Order: sequence, then C-alpha cells, then structure tokens
Amino acid sequence: MYRYDAVDRLIVEERVAQFRDQTERYLAGLLDEDAFKPLRLQNGLYIQKHAPMLRIAIPYGVLSSEQVRMLSSIARRYDRSYVHFTTRQNLQYNWPKVEDVWKILAELATVSMHAIQTSGSCVRNITTDPFAGVAADEIVDPRPYCEIMRQWSTLHPEFAALPRKFKVAFNGAKEDRAAIYVHDLAFDLYRDQAGEVRMKVLVGGGQGRTPRIAAVIKDDLHWTELLTYSEAVLRTYNKLGRRDNIFKARIKIQVEALGAEEFARLTNEEWAHLKNGPNTLTQEALDRVAAHFVDPVLGAPSEAASQNLPTDARFREWMTQNVVDVRHPDYAAVNISLKRKDIAPGDATSDEMDAIADIADRYSFSEVRVNHTQNLVLPYVARAKLFELWAELDKLGFARPNISLASDIICCPGGDFCSLANARSIPLSARVAERLEPIESELGPLAIKMSGCINACGHHHVGHIGILGVEKGGEDWYQVLVGGRADKGGRLASLLGKAVREDDIPAIVEGIARTYLNQRQNGETFIDTFERIGAEPFKPALEISEQAQA
Amino acid sequence: MSLLLEIDAQKGALIRGEAVERPAPKPVKPANEGAGDVRRKIVPVVKPPAGPSASEWENGAYVSLQNWLEGAPKGAAILLQPADDVRALEGRVGDVPLISVDFHRIGDGRGYTHAFLLRKRLNYAGPLRAIGAVTADQVFALARVGFDSFALRADQNGETALAALGTFSVPYQGAVVAGTAADREAALLDAKVRLLDLALKNIAMSHNRPALASSLSAEDMVIADAIARLNLPIDVFTLDTGRLHSETLDLVEATKQRYGREIEVVKPDAGAVSDYVTRHGADAFYESVELRKLCCNIRKVAPLNTALKGRSAWVTGQRREQAVTRGALPETERDAERDMQKYNPLADWTWTDVLAYANRFDIPLNPLYQRGYVSIGCEPCTKAIRPDEDPRAGRWWWENQDSRECGLHTAANTRAA
Ligand code: SF4
Ligand code: SF4
Repeated sequence: MYRYDAVDRLIVEERVAQFRDQTERYLAGLLDEDAFKPLRLQNGLYIQKHAPMLRIAIPYGVLSSEQVRMLSSIARRYDRSYVHFTTRQNLQYNWPKVEDVWKILAELATVSMHAIQTSGSCVRNITTDPFAGVAADEIVDPRPYCEIMRQWSTLHPEFAALPRKFKVAFNGAKEDRAAIYVHDLAFDLYRDQAGEVRMKVLVGGGQGRTPRIAAVIKDDLHWTELLTYSEAVLRTYNKLGRRDNIFKARIKIQVEALGAEEFARLTNEEWAHLKNGPNTLTQEALDRVAAHFVDPVLGAPSEAASQNLPTDARFREWMTQNVVDVRHPDYAAVNISLKRKDIAPGDATSDEMDAIADIADRYSFSEVRVNHTQNLVLPYVARAKLFELWAELDKLGFARPNISLASDIICCPGGDFCSLANARSIPLSARVAERLEPIESELGPLAIKMSGCINACGHHHVGHIGILGVEKGGEDWYQVLVGGRADKGGRLASLLGKAVREDDIPAIVEGIARTYLNQRQNGETFIDTFERIGAEPFKPALEISEQAQA
Repeated sequence: MSLLLEIDAQKGALIRGEAVERPAPKPVKPANEGAGDVRRKIVPVVKPPAGPSASEWENGAYVSLQNWLEGAPKGAAILLQPADDVRALEGRVGDVPLISVDFHRIGDGRGYTHAFLLRKRLNYAGPLRAIGAVTADQVFALARVGFDSFALRADQNGETALAALGTFSVPYQGAVVAGTAADREAALLDAKVRLLDLALKNIAMSHNRPALASSLSAEDMVIADAIARLNLPIDVFTLDTGRLHSETLDLVEATKQRYGREIEVVKPDAGAVSDYVTRHGADAFYESVELRKLCCNIRKVAPLNTALKGRSAWVTGQRREQAVTRGALPETERDAERDMQKYNPLADWTWTDVLAYANRFDIPLNPLYQRGYVSIGCEPCTKAIRPDEDPRAGRWWWENQDSRECGLHTAANTRAA
C-alpha cells in the first residue's frame, strides 16, 4: 500500500475545498455550464444517461480494506448500494447527486482517495499490472514509477487542458498485463546489462473509434529521465494535437499524421532542453517514494516443499483457473471473479464489498487489487489457507473458476447507463457467457470483450473475440471481431463482416469458438490458432448464423 | 477596461478595473433522481470572440506575432494566438513591454505551453498576461506556468479570482516530486502547517467555545501560535498544578506578551490540595501509583474538567511519536467521558516538525528543552533524559511504562470518531 504523507493529504483536502466552492457557485447560477464542465470532469463527475456518474481513481489498482469499506459505505449512503469496477482499474458510482459529490470526495479524502483527473482532457489515472510487487515474472516493480508519474501529472498546470484525454500505463513484468500497447503513453520497464532500470517508451496506442497499436519512440530511456521525457511528449502533444475535431484529437492521430519517427524527433528536440534538468529523478527521490509502499513481511520461504491441499474437484478447478503463482513460494495471488451469472461484469454490492474487505483483512494483509479485466485480486494469500479462502469465496459467489475463460467477459456499462451507448451490452454479455459455459473449460483462455459503442470502453479491439454495439434503424446490432490481443505487443482484432442482430450473437460466438475447437492443433489456445490460420476460417460462423435466422 | 487581476512581486495580488454588470444569477435545480437529462443548462454570459480577443491594452495597441517579427514599432505589446510558435521570439523578448496570450476557449491549453516556453526557455521576465476566455478557476494554473496578469472574462468575479490564486499550497511538481531531501522536507513542513491551519479553522467553525488545553509544551506552543496567527476564536487555557517549574510559568507571561491574547490559568481546588498534602504528604506521589494518580486527579484532571465545562470540543498537542500508548492516536476522537469532541491536530507530527515550526515562526519555547527535558510536566515528576532514551522516560520514571498517563488522555475515555 502507498501511504499518504502530509503533501498528499493536503492536496486532496484542498482539492475538495476547491470543488465544493465551484459546485456551490455552479448551483447558485454563478458558473456557467461550459466553465463548470471541465471542472467537474476533472473531479470525476460525468453527466450520463440517467444521472451523473462519479469515477473514483484507484491509483494503479491498489486498495486497502479500509478504502474498500469506505467505498461500500459511500455507495450505501449516497448511491444505490453498489459500485462498478471499470476497465481502467477505476471505480464508478452510477447515481450520485451533483450537490453531494464534494461531500463524497471529502469522505474519500479521509482514506487517502480522490477522483482527481479521472475524466476530462488531462492525464488520467495511471494503470499497471494488478500483480505488481508480487508477480513471479516481474523484472522491475512498477509501482514507485507509477506513483512518481501520478504525483507529477496531478494538477500539472501546463497539461490540464490537453487536446484530449491522456492515458498512461506501466509494465514491469515479462508478460504485459497492463495493455500498454493501447495507451497514449506507456513505459515498459526492464534492466539493462548493467542492471540499471530502463524503459521502452510507447506512444500513440489507443482504442476508441480509431484503434491504434502504440509505436516505440525510445527503447532505452534511463529511469531518471521518466519525467523529463514525459514532459517532452506532453508538451509536443499539447502544441501540435488537433483541437478542431474531437475525434481526431488523441495523440495517436498526431503520431500517425506525423509518423512515429517525426513525432520522436520533435519529442527528442524538446527533450534536449529538459534532460538532466530539474525534473531529472535522483535515487533519493525514487527511494523516498518507494518507501511509501509498505508491503507485508512474508518471511522466509518454508522448508516444506509441497502443501497437502484437499482434492475437492471444484476447489482444484478454482486453483487451476483463479489462483496465480507469485514470487514467494508459500503465497499465491487469488482472483476474485466479478463475472457472475446475472450480474453486470465488474459490479459489486456494498454488502459484497464489506465481505471482500473482511476477507482481505483475514487472508491478504488487508490489500486488494483491481484488475483491468474487472476482477479483483488478493495479492498475498498464504497457500496453506487457500482451501479455507476458497470455501468462503464460494459461499459469497466469488469463486466462479472462470478467470480468462469465455465467461470472464469484459463489458462496458453500455446502454443501461451510458448516454453514448448504441446497445445494451450487459444483458448480451450474460447470454454469451451462458451459452459458452458448458464448453468454456474445454475452450481454455478466451478473452471476449464487448463495447456498447465505438468508444470502445469494453476494449473490443483487443478481445480474442470482440463485440461492438452499433445502431441500425433504432435496433441494437453488433459487429463481431476476432484475433485481437492486449498483451505481447498488442494486436487489433479484425472485423468478420457486417453487423448482425443481437439475438444471433450468442450462436455466432459459439460458432467461432467451435471453429477454434475444430481447427486447433496440439495444445494451441484460441489466439494461437488465430495466429496460425487468420480470420478467414472464422467468417462462416457469422454467415451460417445469419442464414439460420433468415 | 474589464477586471484585471495582477500579481505584483512587492504588493502581492490586486484587482484593477471594474466588473461588468451581469444579470442576476438563476440558481440551478438539480433534478437527477429520475431518467433523462439531469439539469437545466446555464449558458455562458459571454460568448467567445471569433478573432483575437482584444486589439489594444492600457498603453497602446497589440501587434500579432507575425507583425512583431516583421518589425513592429518599439514599445509595442505582442498578442499571441494559440497556434503561434513562441520559439520564433527566441532571443528577442528583452524589451517587450507586455506579452499577452489569447485564450479562445477554456479548454484550449496551448497558451499554458506558450507561457512555460516564454518564461523557462526564452527567459522572458516582463509582464505576461492571459486574455480572452480567462475565468477565476483557471488563474491558479495560469499563475503557476508564469502568467502574472489576468484580464478576466467579463462575467468573472474579481474576489473569487483573487481567492483562487491560493487554491493549492504545496503542488507536487518540482520540489516535491523531483527535489532534494531538503526541498522535500520543507514542502512537508509547509503541508503540515497548512493542514494544521485547516484543522484549526474547521474546529473554530464547527464548535461552541473550543479550547486548547495548553501545558505550555512545545507542541501546545505551536498550536497556540497557529491560533493567534489565524486569529481564531479558540480559547487557550493552562493548568497551573502548583508544582510547575518556574520556567514553565514564565512562559505564560511571555506568550501573553507575544500574542496579545489572554491565556486563562486554571488552578486546582485549594481545599482538595491541602487535604491531600496533610493526609499523604506533598510528595506522596512517589509512594504508589494510586497516590500519584490521586495527585494528578486533584491537580490536573479535576481542573481540566472544570475548564472544559460548557465547551463542545477541546484541542491537545499529543503526538503519536510521543509514547507507545499514543501509537494509534487519531486526529479527532470522541471524548465520551466529557461528552465532547477531542482534536489532536499534531498527531502525525514528529519532534523535528515541532522544532522546525518553532524555528520558522520564532515561537517562545520552554528553556528546559535545552537542558534535556523532552516531556515537561510538574517539576517533581519530570526529569531530563538522555538522547537515546524513550521520550516518555522522563515522566513518572519510577512507574511501569503502561501507567504513565496522567488521566487527561486515557484511552478508555475516548474512541476514534
Ligand atoms: S463503449 Fe460506448 S457505450 Fe460503452 S461505456 Fe464507453 S461510451 Fe458508453
Ligand atoms: S505530575 Fe506529579 S505533581 Fe503533577 S499532578 Fe501529577 S503527581 Fe502531582
């Protein structure tokens, strides 16, 4: 956990006071809509379809049990007793009142939380690997770098009115679990031959209506220059980014228009003035931030090589699917599946949140992580207690053994909440999950991602199977894509064909899945098979189903 | 001329010009319980201009960047547009009397980068003004990138803008994130002082006759200083147990003199004191924990309770670092026994913080600190300690660790609130 110091605390307190004043002026009619909009957005307050929506920042996805309890209690008192975890490791309330928002923020401030820059044209919440600090394949713990970036980009005076939103991610492990190739700016951390931390710098990735895979513009940035280089990227973008067309304002459009090389050249030209300057980090500064992360002391690995865990079949299945090895042999990280039958992906009620906080206290040193796949993670569970934990999670309905399987669908709030949606993606995701459940363990890892509109909050471009809501003559229709991935350098999914009716989607998705089962060779996963055979063999699935309906 | 907010190195921030009459505001009625759109729109009073927001300033005309580069008359002021490339002015900004940056929309942030480059890259030191869509809510960020003059949009309120300049006291960028340990320490102290100020203001605002119970310790002197500096309606009283060091008593006078504020000196009940002395002896507190507690009760706890009567909150200078018993001390707690709120605004301060505050604000401290006393109470019950000893080792040293509270702050009385 990152522990706030006086500076952190003061900033959130002053932020609350500022927003309270702004809200009061707005409600008194002294602040017009155009002026209030950027102010409320940068405090996480959206106006959605049915009500305002408040997005709370969960920096790099880390929560303490105390924070979970506060989030749950706020949901009870100011909202409808549930919360929604987003695909960017944030949390949303769907029904707060505008006049209550500053009060909610004041309560959050008491547990070191805020909603600063969770929306609006600014640097957004920094995201990373939900297993940061414990992952077995971790090369560099990304959290201190994330936190430095969070501090530097919080209320940065020059970059609060960028052309468009700006999302930053870090990865420090061999496997990329932070989708860094679809971020505006991302850092891939590694160690050079001398053991020094360096970073690959990626810019111009993103999803939305113009999905792009990021380009690497620097491959050996020394960590001390993290801020100076970021400043150069942001300044270049702030000057050149388009402001005439909101759909062409993201940095990816700029990088594409100029070419990654030219963008890199302009950035380097600016960087030349900043490198070795006052924003160059020192070891002392890094150590100071790292010291704010107080991790539990797990002790030396025990001698007993193998634990005797029960052989209960359901428990075993859960172990295989939801439990992840960590560096420490006596511990494991446990995924809490928020993909349950008949409940919107990523939703949890206040009672469930309290139960999770309680479980975190007893099994995971009071810490919970939020995964961008809208599941939660308990990062520090003693292996010896796994069975006990499983039994508790199972009772609460959180032990569905479906992590990275077909029913672990990522889905945006869609037409049920979002004013931009063309389609009600949540009920559909439930039907798809239901359809595939009987064969999901046979299918193995399969990432289905669903968005209600081209803004792609459900990350359909990087789904192994992507589903996108489009509107056609007042009805919900869907496009189907295959072959995207968020990891391993990222790849955008290819469109299979024309949009199809909502009712056909479950059958079509099953058809795609069965195509894979028929085509796969020795131990291939869905995405392996796709990489070998391409999109073509999956196309009939779309048509067969259309004909069947006709 | 419309409202102009200016930051002057000598005089601070001031406002010139006159506000434009605007129609009386109509409050917004939030109606977001149901479906559909959530509120009535408030429309901006001032429409953004199509072209440059101004053609002249107080002392003459503006010229565009292009015209200026082509040879504008000496003494002309430059008006930069969002798309201009400021670097064209490299090495040529020495004698420009004013550079203004035109903000066409609130959301167009290019002007912030213009300011950064002018100040940091081109070393422009003259006046730098933001004009156009400039509202009170932007001036804080504008000032931080180097603007020192703000031609406020016609519907803006000058006082709001002036107040907004002080929105954040210790921003992250610069010293806090990338600075040296010394920079960071200074920033942390700034932040702690500001948090203390906010806490005290909040206490003053939300309670009836709140008071600081001052033992004249360095901590209490810090809080008393902040109360006086902010001129808050928080009373300060001290308990004269009759057994204090003369150095401590001298501080009462010094403090009154320094701040010109009253400090109430509360004395124990004379009858109870003489009763204790005749029955047990003046120094009977060395004999047993019970007799010590009884003495504390008569000389401290009872007078404290009297002094707190009729108040809804009290403030103490306790810190977590001071003792094992205070390790989990909250910043505010319910004092159930006295049925009032209790505040410990210095809970997370270190001794170094206290000394740094004393040093920065030059506040009087008890000279006993110089002689090795760390925790100062009654003369017979306090002694100097070695630097390596526990800070509480100088109080009731003849007793066990866990009994060493005087009854003013026993944990059983209170719970976190
Ligand atoms: S993808 Fe579209 S429908 Fe879904 S949450 Fe984003 S904007 Fe709303
Ligand atoms: S500190 Fe000592 S002298 Fe003072 S009241 Fe307590 S026991 Fe009596």
